[in-house]
Amino acid sequence: MAFVLTFIGAMLACGLEMLEALAIVLAVGITRRFRDSLIGAAGALLALAALAVVLGPVLISRVPLAPLRVLIGAFLLLFGLEWLRKGVLRLAHLRSPSDSFKEFVEEQEELEGMPLPPAGRPDWAGRTIAFKGVLLEGVEVILIVTALGARPGGLAPALIGGGVALIAVVGIGVVLHAPLSRLPETHLKYLVGIVLSTFGVFFAAEGLGVSWPLSDAALLYLAAAFFLISQLQIRLLIREQAAAVAT
Amino acid sequence: MSLLRQLRKLVLGETWALPLGVALALGAAGIVRAVDGDDGWWHHGGGFILLGLVALALTGSLAGALRARRRHIE
Repeated sequence: MAFVLTFIGAMLACGLEMLEALAIVLAVGITRRFRDSLIGAAGALLALAALAVVLGPVLISRVPLAPLRVLIGAFLLLFGLEWLRKGVLRLAHLRSPSDSFKEFVEEQEELEGMPLPPAGRPDWAGRTIAFKGVLLEGVEVILIVTALGARPGGLAPALIGGGVALIAVVGIGVVLHAPLSRLPETHLKYLVGIVLSTFGVFFAAEGLGVSWPLSDAALLYLAAAFFLISQLQIRLLIREQAAAVAT
Repeated sequence: MSLLRQLRKLVLGETWALPLGVALALGAAGIVRAVDGDDGWWHHGGGFILLGLVALALTGSLAGALRARRRHIE
């Protein structure tokens, strides 16, 4: 149970973050030059690999298990609840839907105004934008995979999920050369919010000395609880908004 | 500076209400656990208390968005 949920959580969270990074890399590549865009992205990937190599072992070897679980739970709650908050607001029509394609178009429009250096000279502006975009989205991927993988037995599904997401997103980039505009991103991000928040409460409570009834199966009823709570909030927000417009 | 601001936004999110709510929820849970000890009711039921506190934190962060929307409509 924990394996499947960790795999799904890591795959969806990493996939969506990587999709946003891909949108930036493609926007720089199409508007300026693909070579500079890929150089910037590769630099960010190297920095992220160094962060991953340092972060995981340091956390696991230096921090005792109970505080580590609380720390991981806190990180997962911060990420998960933020995704869930945005998902609830989007589904209640209080925020515009998540759309990597729109971000791609906006990024492209912004880049078109910047002068391009002559052929053969490095395009540092393009490289920097690709580097920064991939680095920022990648830091979240590293933190989520590290947090999900830090639990005993959690590393394999977290890495497999992240790997599957990477292959899928690179495949999208290579085959389509444009981000998917048909992905139901709002609903996927809402789902990721539920999964990460579920793991966050589960880990943090374990770190605080809780023994969950039904052990790992607690993940299922926690996910169901987050789904019900968020659905209730969506309905309340829609009703409140309708009442505010009517008065 | 802009990169640091974006990193802060990535880790803590767009609002202060949510990280504060999470910190308060975990802090309150830690205090209850310390008062109750290792073998008390917290050991079996504490997870549901934490779930409730986290749900409150989420509700608090959404209330802020709703207030902002109301002001916008008015």
